[in-house]
Amino acid sequence: MSEEATPPLRILPSALAEANGDLPFVAIVRNREELFRWLRDPLPGLRWLQVEGMLGDSEAWTEAAHDKSHIPFDVVLSDPASEFSNLYRLVDSSAEREVRVTVPAGPGLAKAVRLAAALRFPVRILPGQPTAAALGELREVLEFYLHEPMVEAPIEFLHSLLASMEGGDTGSLWMILEEDPDVFHHCDADGRAGVPRTDDSGCVEAGSPGFVENWLKGLIAQEGECAACPWQQPCRGYFKWPDPAYSCQGIKGLFSSIQAAGNEIRKELASFTAAEAAMSDPDEGGER
Amino acid sequence: MSERVFSVILLPTSDCNVACEYCFEHKEPHRLSPALLPLLTRRLLDHLEAEQIEECEIYWQGGEAMIMGPAWFENAGEIMNRAAAERGRRFVHYLQTNLISYSPAWNGVIQKMFNGSLGTSMDYPNLYRKLFKGGAAAYTKLWTKRLREAKSAGIAVGVIAVLHRASLEAGPERFYRYFTEELGLSDFQVNTPFPGGPAKEVEGGFQLDSRELAEFMVGLFDLWMTEGYSSGVSVGPFDALIDHFTGEQARLPCIWKENCSNQFISVDAKGTVAQCDCWVTSYPEYFFGNIFREADLTRMLKTSRARRDFVERPKHLVEDEDCLSCRYLSICHGGCPVRTYSALGTMMAKDPYCEVYKAVFACAEAHAGEILRARASPVVSLRRAHELGVSATQ
Repeated sequence: MSEEATPPLRILPSALAEANGDLPFVAIVRNREELFRWLRDPLPGLRWLQVEGMLGDSEAWTEAAHDKSHIPFDVVLSDPASEFSNLYRLVDSSAEREVRVTVPAGPGLAKAVRLAAALRFPVRILPGQPTAAALGELREVLEFYLHEPMVEAPIEFLHSLLASMEGGDTGSLWMILEEDPDVFHHCDADGRAGVPRTDDSGCVEAGSPGFVENWLKGLIAQEGECAACPWQQPCRGYFKWPDPAYSCQGIKGLFSSIQAAGNEIRKELASFTAAEAAMSDPDEGGER
Repeated sequence: MSERVFSVILLPTSDCNVACEYCFEHKEPHRLSPALLPLLTRRLLDHLEAEQIEECEIYWQGGEAMIMGPAWFENAGEIMNRAAAERGRRFVHYLQTNLISYSPAWNGVIQKMFNGSLGTSMDYPNLYRKLFKGGAAAYTKLWTKRLREAKSAGIAVGVIAVLHRASLEAGPERFYRYFTEELGLSDFQVNTPFPGGPAKEVEGGFQLDSRELAEFMVGLFDLWMTEGYSSGVSVGPFDALIDHFTGEQARLPCIWKENCSNQFISVDAKGTVAQCDCWVTSYPEYFFGNIFREADLTRMLKTSRARRDFVERPKHLVEDEDCLSCRYLSICHGGCPVRTYSALGTMMAKDPYCEVYKAVFACAEAHAGEILRARASPVVSLRRAHELGVSATQ
């Protein structure tokens, strides 16, 4: 979805979205009325619906499966441990539209990701500043993502991070997770845009252009962890927001594992390419 | 319009012309009246319209479907297809029959209504499929004759084989050769047995040890990969699994769907609606309603308490069973509700054949891996180029 979200994309509550017209936006819907309002009569600027707190409403999903508007859903789980099994309710809707599942890093993350992957839904994990327990779940998910052949759809942010370490132009974590305020305007109930994961959505710092680069510059100037961090490029201080005192030790381990997997893939590809080259050039050896 | 396809297993009669020992269906002489067909069709089309589904697959079976006679089917096909076309919908018809009463009189309707193909069933060895007079040997002889006649008439025949203890004793090789060489078939499917309906003594022969059954299935899979895969023999569900694991579009059998409840229903001659033919013939406690008595099929399906169990089953399995940690969850989802219910008396448990399925999935995964490696391997590319007479350096 982030590819479609080239700047600026407003992500705002359903009621505020009414006035958005042709400008690109994502409507946040939290009940049946809001969901079906947009399915019935979408405005031209609507890119997708961010569906929150509705997985428990089985009738809403039965109804939504009948809708043919093809408007994509980003279904956000607030409590993956209790909600994950309800992902089955999205199966019919996904026949008519793209459905992505967004899961916060917390208890039940690994379960939700496993089931979402089994149902072939792309996943966006919102890591925030993960606790030790959440890091454990993130490590489990990474293992699953890297080594489970059944995973067919991307599991973000792991997928893009792996690609970026292999030279892919995926942008920073802020971009991958659709949290870069230059590109994604997350609006509060009053329509004020700000940086996600902070209560102070209207703060001057957050609303100013170049927020991510300024944030990183500030962190480096403080000579904290970010200054010498090998993952500074893809991270851009993501895990230091909103609390710059957050220790990235566990996160660095996660990055290292992704890097190691990337190296392994690169090595295998190189040996395969070499073998293929040798085969196509008889003078270089190989089977004659 | 939705790309979803909805399927109906339609039983024009529960009556049957043979006496298979293991059959769990509750046989009744009731037949679907031509006078009720327009109503049945209207109810189905209303549902398709409500769900915005364009195409509906109708799987005609029984009881024994051919009891109805070719003229009945010709009439039924015309009524249903005309009504569907008028509402911008389409029925696609399939026929499942025991073939015993097949005759050339069927050829016209099979070509026209069923696209020149049909499905039938035979086991190896056949111990339980019996005629009322003459037993299993007479059944096999007559069925084989009918099969050959149908094939000679240009009808494509697919065969379903249900495994039992004697199949396992015979072993995969004799089993495979019976279908491919003795019967000359290039399309058959292997089903795992389940007791269904009220308990009967003969079902003892169908209570198979999971380890032995898995061993048989894997042996058959291996044999098919060696001898049949590349030479156009299709063996279900192995072929669909190979498609899946090689990244092709795969149509896996209903037992492994995310949720079968949203994909098909079964309707019997009296209008009873249930999840599939197994439920509609055997388990009144899980009937959804009656299509002739209730005007709105969509509403019936939405509000049926019995159906809610089917809808909610996969949720329960990932919460309460070990399905979530299974590497094959994406292609199994806990297996078949009726296999589970008939064996355990509840559907809120995983399929009792879990270990058999896992062995088959692992076998499919390994074979698919070889296929993919062979496709990618430079050595194989070179060999293939050599076979084609092309220099690898060109």
